[in-house]
This record gives sequence, structure tokens and C-alpha cells, in this order.
Amino acid sequence: MERHDVTLTVNGRTSTVSVEPRKLLVDVLREDLGLVGTHIGCEHGVCGTCTVLRDGESIRSCTTFAVQVDGAELRTVEGLASGSELHPLQDEFWDKQGLQCGFCTPGMLMRACEIVEQKPDVTREEVREGIASNLCRCTGYQFITDAVCAAAARMKAGSTETTGAQA
Amino acid sequence: MTTVDRPDAPPVRTHKPDRTWVGKSIRRVEDPKFLRGRGGYIGDMTVTGMLYAAVLRSPHPHARITGIDTTEASAAPGVHAVITGARAAELCDPLPDFGPNPAAHTWRCLAVDKVRYVGEGVAVVVAESRYLAEDALALIDVEYEPLPAVVDPERALADGAPLVHDDLGSNCAYERTFDFGDVERDFAEADVIVTDRLRWHRSGGQPLETVGAIADFDHATGALTVHTNSLSFTSYLFMVAGTMKIPANKLDVRPLPAGGSFGSKLFATKPAVIAGMCSREVGRPVQYLEDRVDNMSNCDHHGSDRVYEVRLAMMRDGTIRGIDIDTVEDYGAYIQFGVGHHGNALAQVVGPYAMTSVRYRVRAALTNKNQQGAYRGFGSEVNNWMLEQMVDKAARELALDPVELRRRNFIREFPHFIPTGNVYDSGDYDAVLDKALELSEYRHWRDVQAKAREEGRCIGIGLITAQERSVFSATEFWFWFDEPGAPVTSMPESVTLKVDATGGITATLYSCAFWGNSPETMVAQLVAEEFDCDPHDVSIVYQGSKNGLPATGPGGSRTTVMLAGAVEGATAKIKAKALRAAAHLLEANPDDMEWVDGGYQVRGVPEQRKSLADIAVMLHLFKHSFPEDMESGLEDSKVFDHPYTTMPSADRTDLGVFYPFMGHACHVPVVEVDLETGSVSFLAYAAVHDCGTLVNPRSLAGHIVGGTAQGIGTALYEEFVYDDDGQLLTSSFLDYLVPSAMEVPELRIGHHETPSPYTLHGIKGGGEGGRMMAPAAINVAVNDALAHLGVRVTELPITPDRLRAAIRAAGG
Amino acid sequence: MKPPPFHYAAPTSVAEAVALLGEHADDDARALAGGQSLVPLMNFRLAQPGYLIDLRRIEELTRIRTDGDVLSIGAMVRLSRAEHSPEVALGAPLLAEALGYVAHPPIRNSGTVGGSIAHADPAAELPAVALALDAELVVVGPQGARTIAAADFFVGPFTTAIGAGEILTEVRFPRRDGGQAFVEFARTHGNFALVGVASVIETDGDAVTRAAIALSGVAPVPVRAAAAERALTGTVPDDASIRAAVDAAVAGLSPSGDAHGSTETRTDIARSYLRRGIELALTRAQDRR
Repeated sequence: MERHDVTLTVNGRTSTVSVEPRKLLVDVLREDLGLVGTHIGCEHGVCGTCTVLRDGESIRSCTTFAVQVDGAELRTVEGLASGSELHPLQDEFWDKQGLQCGFCTPGMLMRACEIVEQKPDVTREEVREGIASNLCRCTGYQFITDAVCAAAARMKAGSTETTGAQA
Repeated sequence: MTTVDRPDAPPVRTHKPDRTWVGKSIRRVEDPKFLRGRGGYIGDMTVTGMLYAAVLRSPHPHARITGIDTTEASAAPGVHAVITGARAAELCDPLPDFGPNPAAHTWRCLAVDKVRYVGEGVAVVVAESRYLAEDALALIDVEYEPLPAVVDPERALADGAPLVHDDLGSNCAYERTFDFGDVERDFAEADVIVTDRLRWHRSGGQPLETVGAIADFDHATGALTVHTNSLSFTSYLFMVAGTMKIPANKLDVRPLPAGGSFGSKLFATKPAVIAGMCSREVGRPVQYLEDRVDNMSNCDHHGSDRVYEVRLAMMRDGTIRGIDIDTVEDYGAYIQFGVGHHGNALAQVVGPYAMTSVRYRVRAALTNKNQQGAYRGFGSEVNNWMLEQMVDKAARELALDPVELRRRNFIREFPHFIPTGNVYDSGDYDAVLDKALELSEYRHWRDVQAKAREEGRCIGIGLITAQERSVFSATEFWFWFDEPGAPVTSMPESVTLKVDATGGITATLYSCAFWGNSPETMVAQLVAEEFDCDPHDVSIVYQGSKNGLPATGPGGSRTTVMLAGAVEGATAKIKAKALRAAAHLLEANPDDMEWVDGGYQVRGVPEQRKSLADIAVMLHLFKHSFPEDMESGLEDSKVFDHPYTTMPSADRTDLGVFYPFMGHACHVPVVEVDLETGSVSFLAYAAVHDCGTLVNPRSLAGHIVGGTAQGIGTALYEEFVYDDDGQLLTSSFLDYLVPSAMEVPELRIGHHETPSPYTLHGIKGGGEGGRMMAPAAINVAVNDALAHLGVRVTELPITPDRLRAAIRAAGG
Repeated sequence: MKPPPFHYAAPTSVAEAVALLGEHADDDARALAGGQSLVPLMNFRLAQPGYLIDLRRIEELTRIRTDGDVLSIGAMVRLSRAEHSPEVALGAPLLAEALGYVAHPPIRNSGTVGGSIAHADPAAELPAVALALDAELVVVGPQGARTIAAADFFVGPFTTAIGAGEILTEVRFPRRDGGQAFVEFARTHGNFALVGVASVIETDGDAVTRAAIALSGVAPVPVRAAAAERALTGTVPDDASIRAAVDAAVAGLSPSGDAHGSTETRTDIARSYLRRGIELALTRAQDRR
């Protein structure tokens, strides 16, 4: 079976894994690197559950072969918090109840991360259109929008302090 | 109407006036792990030596299986086993089926002699990875002899239709007509009879996580461990054990968090049985986790699929006298839950209106489609839609204001028994309506609508008032039969509370793990309310079936009410022991003591006090400080049974109380219809709900918005479309359209609280309300937008195709 | 849903890629661009190429440049980069606008201009844009490079004039004056369009001097609304004449129906969106003057 070495820097840590060319990035993250926070929802690129950042841009890891991102810098949900301190997005998702079952949450957080990093003064309407790339079956999106807007405001203000309890 | 002996209602409770934690929108205690990607879902779990299963699905809607050759697949790299349907039938018994005549429409984990819908499993491969398993699926050679398919439920019931189950001899799995009250008189005396034919097509829960199980069969002990994200197995594990032909006490079902369910993971027995069967065959742990196509085409949980012919008996002044409902439901190829979906509809069949009679005829059709299961509302959302379309049509035919017509018929005295026998415990429908009119700016939008119409724009306002029943009893599944096979009456929920030696509290929950609602937050807030602690300090764990207590699991918006009852009961036992211990330690009379701020003290003497932690450490570590009969430790459990169920009468003219805690809501969407494209967009959306006393208002609001989003899907986008030949045309998210943030408007949400007289704090269930209201409200809104053109849409979802066809028919 | 096995190579030059494609022709070798159409098809096992030649390391395919009146976009330029490129905004505003309709940003962050055009989905945006702008498609094969006019490029659903052993390397968009507008109707945001309309309309201030209008989603390939173009050209359009032009174009359409829209509904929507597209392009043509 043909295998290729793929070198990935994920959340700042560089690893080289030997994989079949057909192996999807999401499966390499979950199985080879043990980063199971990136979930599988539809495996045809529609739901966005598997969203990760490649060189700062969101991509669908279920419609990307790992060999296609050899050498890339990736970020996943596991890279958001630093130690006990939640990322402002995580903290605001918690505060605003921007999640219910939590399954879409990692993909939604990473997409939101791209949105607020690309546009610190993002408007509520832009957030709604932005997160339309990712499906959520629980929340109806309203509280996710609340959370992303609140996090954007906090990040713009330069604050990374959490407002609530550490988790 | 036949009178029945009603057991007394539960005692009317006095609710605690000042609450500390109940009613606060605290941060959910479940969330931190999910926010960090450490949810621990089924797909995240590996067991040493685990193999992966994949199911070969039928491409035919109806075909005889004349041969299966698995030789090549069995020899493929990494393959450990290939099991065909015929072999599976030797290994396992049929899956549990609560429907009528289960032997005449046997349901198995894989098809045996013939396939009955596109997607039905015919074989399963076990391999070292899901990739290799799917490679081997492609090598299985199945010979099919295609049979004519039957897709339309009414055609399925007609003479000469192809039979889905030959043994049944018909595609009608069930038929019965119930009369409640004097239907003949109400229709004879009516001034006007409003009639309509309505069609609700099937959609489904479609959580973003599919259903799965990891099974590990130990040949040394004969024990089977199943980890699953399905719900409710604590009580119903015998269903899996029975199918697997193993003793129930050899089965341990361990619940894992579910990435959404919306009903669709209720009793998902098939994945557990497939994984269990495979594990027993190969002697290693096996994961079977559906992929999206499995979940869409073979999940056993498509939602309602109904045709209605309805008559409404009306007086000219707008009084609704009675309703005559004739419904055909398309159950697909099997009928696992029987016609319980219609029991659900009957719980609130008259809505909030004081009508006096109901006729309800149901025919259950079998067709070549995936079978129905549960989807948020469980059939009562369809009834809400049907009733509100009828009421709205009545208002137009009688030229009455639709808001006033509804108000004129409101039930105002509680408890109120509806003609079927179910009770509405409490409510204040006028208050909800008034709040909704204000919140939605109803008058303003009527003005906007009038002005827009002059410009040729079609704006519609869809005010509806409807019920949200909560906390079901099992009678809804068997009152259909004069001699039911299993007239069960237990639907408990249990909680164990443990106070450790430091005074820390752990609550153990049974019946399932987390599934997107907030059971941990609910319990934490309820425990904190009882013990005056911080809810975030309460630890919550889930117990597997092996050491489980009786528990039914989520369904019918029962969880919070039932957990509250169990928490209250366990608390009472713990506090009784703590009181006795504290009194002993303080050498005081227990009757002179009171619970104050997290401890017991002598009434009026705060210095004479023992905190819960003081008491706990003594009870855990200082046995000799107490009387001999006092056991060490401080923990107790409560198995809380359904608080208000009464039995159906023998002649079934009264179905008894089975859904007593009746919520209510008023939804007011404002839509604009694009006549040229047949598309519908939202200009505003307001919703006011009354679910009794709120535990966490933000959580409930989240359910309202999320449920409404699903209701928008049901109303406008989502449909499992089978073509005339029985092919499923919407088997991926490319075609099955789940609404995104751009399809769901921002909601204005209002709460009204009418406490239930019968539950702790007056809580009612509220998990399904959004989806129970939105389809009805949106349909009313669309019809309101188009009424002046003579267009009325009677079919959901309201797609561009259906809307354009209606507009074209009206000359537009 | 896991893809079938395949062999893989990621060459660094077009020549190398073409050579590999030829070498592995018997293995059903295919070029892999962003993969946003191909990988889902492989996950469904609807496509099972035996050899994938990943073009991502070929530098020359990632260039955007302007030569006089022609905007050239390398096949491997990602959709999101093109969408936000000032050169594209200037040289082909129609393309920039259409790119905003292609699925969602995470798809556009991987999907490529060449991949989208070579995939030739009849409902896709970029093929219609290429047709409306009279783009030229550059393909390179064993015999070297050749240029195909957009009008000759799309030959059927998911089928193009790219020959065996050839790779699409570049898309050249001639600069057009006048008003440009892309509009489309999809049932949900970012989903496949039922109808898309790419319009380029030039006027002399009053009368239409040139109209190029392409439709997606209404035929097996993107099509020009030739009857509407003819009807508009040389006239000073008003509501009635636009409607007449639209009706003329729609009369020739017979889109095939599916679960999302019957032939009649798709025709109705085409009529509506054709009008909206023309009106928007005309407004912009006036604004530009």
C-alpha cells in the first residue's frame, strides 16, 4: 500500500506521519494525531463540522486529503485555549449558550476564529453570513451570533481576560 | 361521553416563592468540555483491538434478494468478517417492534429475503478500518430481482398495490376511528363546516452526529458491553439483549454524549445490535458508526408523513364545536413505534380551544421507504399545524379576525379535561397572546402589510396559538388496542445524590448521557436550590445500565420535570438523615430545627448549627458518634414515577391522562413571498412560550430558537423526497436542505410563566416547542401573504415548486 | 463514506504533470486541484480515479496577472484569493461578484478557479462567467499548449473540451466595459444554484451597444441568452422591452427538473433572475458612465 510522509504543524507542534494518499485530513487529525476535537458530520463538505484553519484560513478537513496540506500550519479547537484560560470565543460561547449538543462547536469556533481575525470590526450581519458556512442543528444560530459578536468586541478591545470561571 | 373513575389528581402544590438558582440563566455546567473539543462522543472513543463495520445498503426500493456472493469481499485486505442478512437472522432475533402484528412485518437488523426501501442494509463488513470495510462492500455481489414499489401512502392502501410485507396481506398496518364527545350533534348543529385536505411530507432530526455503537462481546463470560450515543437504554436494555439472544444481566449499555438527537437517537437499537452481532462473530470490539448516507436513508427515524382530510364544525360567531380528523400516515417499511405518534397528537388534539367533540380516524400505511421514528414533536407538531390551518381557514370563511376567533375559543378554566380525556393542568392563553401581540408589533406589521400590498408586495403575518404537551406516559402507545400486548404504566426517572465527606455533592443520572439539552445544568440548579450551594460545584455523572436505576430517558419534553421530581425525592431522604444526624450532634429535638443556608440549626439559635459539610464528615467518618441504627455515609436515590397518569376506559371513549403538563405558545412570523420565484423570506419573528416555571431562561430560549430553526426547515426546506419509483432523491446535505444562519431570522422571545400546580417549582417541559409551533405559523403567514390572490398552500414544506405551482394555478 | 485508494504525486511543473498524466492514463489518472468537487465525489465513491496528480506545488499555476486588456488567472489560484484580488475586481468585476456566490468561504479557501471551470458543473457560477466574458481557456498537453474559447469548452454536464492527457492551466478574461452583474437563485445560502445569470451590458449612454448574458443551471451546459442579447442590442431598454427580451430568451429554455424545481419552476425563476440580472447590469452600465 502506497504511503506518503506528511509533515503537519498543528497548533504549533510539528509531526510527520506516514499515510495512505486517500486518508482524509480529518482522519489523520483524529486517528494519527489523537486530536478528536475536530468532528465528522457529513463527509461531503456541506456541514462544516470538520472545519480547521490552514495557514489562518478555514477549510473542510473532510474533503481534503492529508497529502494536500503537507507542510501546512494547521489550527484546531485544541489550540484555542491556553492552559486553563479559554479563548474569548470559547468563553463567550459558554456565556451566551452558543452551543447545545456541542458537536458542531469546534468547527464553528474555528470558522468564527477566522472571521474575527480577518475582520476585527465585523458586524452582526457579517457574522451571520459568515457562519452560514457551518450548520448547527441545535441553536438556530442566534446565540452563536451573540457569542461571536461579543468575542469580536473583546478581542478588538485587546482583552483576553475571561469573564467567567476557568474551565 | 362515558364517565370514568378518575383517580384523584396529584395534590396541588405550593411553590417556593423566592428561588435562588431556579430561574437563573447560569452558564451551563456541561459546556467546558465541548468548547475544548473533549466531548467524548462515540467517534472519539477507541477500544484496544477495535474493528470497524460498514453496512451495504440496498439500491432498490423493493426487490427480492436472490443471491449474495461474499467470496471476494471476505478475501479483501483487512477484512475479518462479512455477514449477510440471512446469516444475521441466524445470529439475532428480530428487532423490537411495538407496532400492531409485529410478526406480520418482521423487522431485522439486515434484510433477509427482500429489501423494502433504498438504504436498507443487506450485509455488513468488519474490517481493520472504515476505509477497508468500504472497499470490501464494493466487492459484495448481490443479485436482486426488482419488485414494483409503492411510495404513495394512499395508493398503498388501495386494492392491488404491491405488498411491502406479504405476511400482512395488506399495506394497512392499523386502522381505527375514535369518537370523543357528541361528534354527530356538534356537526349537525354547526352553522358552517370548514373542510380541507392537508399534506405534511417527511423530514427528520438529522443531528450532525450520526448514530453509533461500540460493542465488545466477551466469549469467556458471555457478557456484552455496548457503548452508544443512543438514548434510553437503562430501561430498555432488554430489547438489545433479547435481539442478541443473551441474558439481560449479561449486557451493559454505557451511554455516551450524543451530538444531537431531536428524537432520532431514541431506542436506536439497530446500530447496537449490528455492532454486537459483529463483535460476537469476530471476538473483538467492533465500532459501527453510521455515515451520513446511512443516517439519512437507514436511520429508522424519519419524521411524520401525513395526509389529512379534516372537517371543523363552526358556529357563525366563531365558536368551534368539534373536529373530525381522517388521517393516513405513511410509516415506511416498518412500524417500530406503532401509531404512538397519533397518541401524541391526541394529547392536545383540540389545541387551546374549548371544543366539545373530536373524531379521529387513523390509517397506518406501509410503503417502500425508511421507517418512521421520533422527531421533535413526535406527531403532535403535525396536529398543531393541521389545527391552526383549519382555524385560519375558518376565520377567512367566516370573515372573522383570526386573532379574535382564537381568543373566543380559549380554554380559561384549569385543570381542563379535553374530550379525549387528557388534562391541561394550567395555562393563561390570553396573557401569552397579549404578550405576543405586543412583542411582535402585530398592529404595526398589519399596517406595513397593507401598504406593501399597494406596491404589489406580498407580506403575511402568521399568528398561531398552540399547545406544547410535556411529560408523557406510556399509555399513548397502547390505548389504540382493545387488548394491548403490553399495557405498560411505568416511565420513571431516577437520581442518586451523594454528599461526600467534604460536603461536596455528586448527582448520578440514569437512562442516557447528555444529548444537547442541559440535564446536568438542570440537575445542578435544582440541587443547588435544595442545598444552597453553587450549581457549578455540583458534580454530575452518568451511569450505565449495569448499575442503573429505573429510568425512561428523554422524550416528550419530560426530562426536567422528571429529574426535578427525582432530585426532590432524593433530597428529602438525604435531608431527613442529615436532620436526624444534626439533631443528634447538637443534642436538640429535630422538630425544633430548620434548614437554613446550607445547614440545619436550632430554630432561632444560629450558633446551634451544623452545615451540610459538618454533618457529612461526621456521617462518613465518625460512626460511633451516632446511634447504632444510623448507617455511615450520606447518599440516597429516588426513583420518581410519572406523577399524573390515569388509565384509559375499557371502551376507549376516554383515553385518560397521559400528557398532563400543558405548555402553550404563540408564534408570530412575518414573511414576504416572492411571487416570481416562490421563495419565502422572514421580515420578523416573535415567539412567546409558557412552559411553566423556568429553570434556566437562556437554555429554554435556546431551545425555542433552535426548535424554530428546525420548524423553518420543516416548513420551507427539509424533505426526504422519494421519487415515484421509490428512489431517495435527498440522501445527502446537498439535497436535504438544513437551514443555515442565513435562513433563520433573529427571534424576539418572550416568556410567560404559569406554574404547573403538580410539579416541583411548577416546571413544565419545553424542549420541543419551537418545532411544534413554527411550521404552523409559517404556513399561516404564507397563506396570509397570498390570500388576496386566492392562493392557499396546504402542503409542507412550502418549496418554490409547490408555491409556484399554486401561484401559477391562480393565474400568477 | 471514505474515498477509494489511489496513487498520488505532486509534481512541481506543468511538464511533469502532463508527463505523469500520460504515463498513468491506463490508471484513470486525473489532475487534482483544490479537490472541493472531486473529493466529495470520491467520498461517495462516485469517482474512483486510480491516480491523482496534485497541481498544488506548481508555482506558475498560482499567478494572477494583467496583460493589457486581458486578465489571466492561473488554474490553481484559489477562489477566495481571486475573490479578494484587486486585479480581478478591476479586470473582471463579474468574476469577482460571482465568486462570492460559490459555496462558502471555507470551500473557496481550497477550491480553485481552474478546478471549478474544469469540473463544468452546469449549475456552477464560473463556467457561466467564462461564457459571458468570452474567456479563453489555456490547456497544456503532450503536444503543447492550446487555447479553447469558452463557447467551445463546455460540451456537456461535467464534460469539457480538455483532451485526454491535457491540463487546464490558465483562464484568460478579456476586459469588458459596461455594466456587469452576477445574480443567482439558490434555495439556501451557498447551496447549488437553481439558476445563475451572468450579464455584461455596454451602452452608449442610452442604447445598448453590446450584451453578453449567460445562464447556469438551465441546460446541460451554461448557455448564452442569445435571444435576449439580440433583443436588447440597439435599443433603449425600458421595463417592457426588458420583459420582452427576457421572454424571448426563456422561450428557448427547457431546464430539466429535479427535487428542487420542476422544469416550469426553473423556467419561472430563470425569467425572474434574467430580468434582475439585466436590470442590475444596466444600472451599473449607467453608473459607470
